[in-house]
Amino acid sequence: MELKAESAPVVEMRNIKKNFGAVRALRGIDLTVHHNEILGLLGDNAAGKSTLMKVLSGAYIPDEGEILLDGEKVHITDPMHARRLGIEMVYQDLALANNLDVTANVFLGREEVGSKLGPIGVLNSHHMEQETQRLLDRLKIDIPSVRLLVERLSGGQRQAVAIARATAFNSKVTIMDEPTAALSVAAISKVLDLVRELKAQGASIIIISHRLEDIYQVSDRMIILRQGRKVLDSPVEGEIDEFREKVVAYFIGARDDFAQKVVE
Amino acid sequence: MTFIQDVQKLFRQNIREYGIYIAFIAIIVFFTITTKGLFLSPRNIGNLLNATSYIAVLAVGMTLVIVIRHIDLSVGFLAGFLGAVAAIAMKYWGWSSYATIPFVLVLGIFAGLITGFLVAGMKIPAFVATLAGALVYRGLLQTVTMSTGTIIIADKFFNAIGNGFITNIPGIGEGYNWTTLLLGLIAIILFVRGEIVTRRKTQAYHFEVLPRSIFILKLGILSALIGAITWVLAGYQGLTWAEVVLLVVVFIYSFITTKTVTGRHIYAVGGNPEAAELSGISVKNITYLVFGSMGLLTAVSAIIYASWLRSATTIAGTLFELDAIAAAFVGGVAVAGGVGKVTGAVIGALVMASLTNGMNLMGIDISMQYIVRGLVLAAAVIFDVKTRNTAKK
Repeated sequence: MELKAESAPVVEMRNIKKNFGAVRALRGIDLTVHHNEILGLLGDNAAGKSTLMKVLSGAYIPDEGEILLDGEKVHITDPMHARRLGIEMVYQDLALANNLDVTANVFLGREEVGSKLGPIGVLNSHHMEQETQRLLDRLKIDIPSVRLLVERLSGGQRQAVAIARATAFNSKVTIMDEPTAALSVAAISKVLDLVRELKAQGASIIIISHRLEDIYQVSDRMIILRQGRKVLDSPVEGEIDEFREKVVAYFIGARDDFAQKVVE
Repeated sequence: MTFIQDVQKLFRQNIREYGIYIAFIAIIVFFTITTKGLFLSPRNIGNLLNATSYIAVLAVGMTLVIVIRHIDLSVGFLAGFLGAVAAIAMKYWGWSSYATIPFVLVLGIFAGLITGFLVAGMKIPAFVATLAGALVYRGLLQTVTMSTGTIIIADKFFNAIGNGFITNIPGIGEGYNWTTLLLGLIAIILFVRGEIVTRRKTQAYHFEVLPRSIFILKLGILSALIGAITWVLAGYQGLTWAEVVLLVVVFIYSFITTKTVTGRHIYAVGGNPEAAELSGISVKNITYLVFGSMGLLTAVSAIIYASWLRSATTIAGTLFELDAIAAAFVGGVAVAGGVGKVTGAVIGALVMASLTNGMNLMGIDISMQYIVRGLVLAAAVIFDVKTRNTAKK
């Protein structure tokens, strides 16, 4: 380990391969996320974005390749293991329990226990509520009360809760799968503000989105996948039109010069 | 002016929760008027509570089963079967009630875990798994009671559970059960103290609390209610052991469902099983736990019922499961799962038992009683669905 943990990338995935029967979903992908960086992950349907992120979040075990967290090699066995390692995922279909309040959702599966009665832990409710309020304030999330049931919240507020929950417990990297899908325009801009706020506070984020504008607005760098290969890895820069044109070209395979460059 | 507004706001926000209490009070008032006060007589209230206890215990367990999106149709005949096992153990095996009661409770948990295994392990829909269970337990009940028919239970201690009253404090005034009054007083003190502590803590953390005037009114009304019930019961020999058992069950289950991690996880599984699983909650373990608890409470119900009748019969437990399910729904458990309180289930059981009891006192035909109870059940679920929709908007 020649690099110190601080200077090593948060996440480094090397030559990740994953096959499903005859389908070669990932054909040897490298992906790096640096500290306090927002990485946009782009690609058409079935390009391999979700598969790659499922490998990182522990849902799939790769056939080949290795994953390094802060420069240290890890073997992720399942989603809970990934979570313990500091890899948090915000799911597209909002993994929230609508019948519970905001606090209960933020602390779901990680409840603070005040005292124990045999195997039964007594909830430390007030402290969790206070912590949740603090978290919402810190991330400038506008929700009237942490005691509101999630089913009473708007789509944007729910997404904010899901994101807050993923970043609440000292996560190393947060993966957001289509965080703006099915949201109103106003809600989208709020979610993007939240992503920027998280970056300002030092978070490292991988964001998957179909909306190129979202990636353009918040990402530092982008990776484009096509048919299980990485076809572009470059900083996000230039005008939006130029950016869009370039991305679409790689998306549909009109341009495919990046991979060759690497090989050369 | 602001007080009235506060009350209105409170009702608007909590109409779902308060609906059942309002309905319950309306039923009490209605039967009290139509029976010229007979309904509220100490003796009738005692009978009513006793007849409610074994269904209410089942309804508490059933509420949690429905909360995690399942159902249990086997509890009726399981209760009948477990009651028969208790009777046989005491009469033919010569066991004391001290050995019989724990044995039946363990047997109940075991039966519940079998259901849990079918549902969580074998992935069979609970409706089918427990329907099969109901048939099996019905067969078992008939098998063990076939040669003897009704089995009379002679054990005094066992029979006291369903028929006996808690011991009076000896030496002071006749006519009132002082233990009951004392317990009532302790309950009021604990309740008021608990509410005040919670309110202070909530204020200390700068969260919203009820306006002071409404808070005092709430404490006053509920304390008066506990006091009144205690007074009535104390006037008629006091609390029965069955009622004590019910109170203990409600206390423990309320605590677990509202204050503990386990309770939180049960509701999380009911609200969104996928999210719960992704958060590291084992849906499987929760399913085993909830069905195991259902089995335990079925055993409790079986003991109360067999004790009440002082016997086990070949038809004991018939349709208990449907009464328990009805009580749970009347008590506000949501059809889709995830929502429903333990206290609601008990109130639901009380409402259904009050209807039967009140209509009996009025001399209404049994066939009419079924129709009325069916309509009340439908109305309760319609109310639930409608208020749920408006709450979302």
